[in-house]
Amino acid sequence: MRLLVVDDNAALRKGLSVRLRANGYEVLFAEDAISATTAIVMERPDLVILDLGLPGGDGFDVMERLHKSDRLANPPVVVFTGCELAGNRDRALQAGAAAFLQKPMEDGALLSTIRLALNMSRDRSPFGESSTSC
Amino acid sequence: MKMLCVLDSPQAVQENKEHLTAQLAKKAHDMRNALACIHQFGNILVDGLAGDLSDEQREYVGIMLENASTIRKVLDSGLDGTSGLLEEATNKIDCLSKINGQGPI
Repeated sequence: MRLLVVDDNAALRKGLSVRLRANGYEVLFAEDAISATTAIVMERPDLVILDLGLPGGDGFDVMERLHKSDRLANPPVVVFTGCELAGNRDRALQAGAAAFLQKPMEDGALLSTIRLALNMSRDRSPFGESSTSC
Repeated sequence: MKMLCVLDSPQAVQENKEHLTAQLAKKAHDMRNALACIHQFGNILVDGLAGDLSDEQREYVGIMLENASTIRKVLDSGLDGTSGLLEEATNKIDCLSKINGQGPI
């Protein structure tokens, strides 16, 4: 499984990559909203771990662009952010995020959420859409 | 940071409150990112993903992680402005004492 980590914090990207690779995932990176959108289109990751505060836009912009594109090709998005819950959580889920996690987060909880989002994405019918809110 | 004054217009007070809330949220965001790094790399070390640790090294990293968790709990208790603490503090300003010069607000 290929995961795209979108975060402007280089240390966080590195830490996540060590953890995710140790759990058998291939990890791709993007550090801003524009390169994130490009990577999603070009690399077709199985899941995106998305920060909200990004240069060149924000995580909501990325989700909005995804929403406007081919929905069946859209990977599930797990928002992983240091932003406060109020407002952002509901907005992210409404924008199509599969889950909203606030930093810092236990690694076990993050990995469980990734597995759940991947399973839900796999089970999604090509002719319908199941709920993806965790 | 601009001080709140009871003689400011309600609009100015509201704007100042929103400014303070945004500042708190920004600082909390930065702290959460820093904590996430400490948490991630601490656990990477404890789990041996960067090589084996001695018992003493494991103990020290454990202490770091415990303290990072303590800071996280402080943040979760509302430092990022989500719990209405700022609203509550503003409402507790004793306007009458301020106007009469009877004490600090």
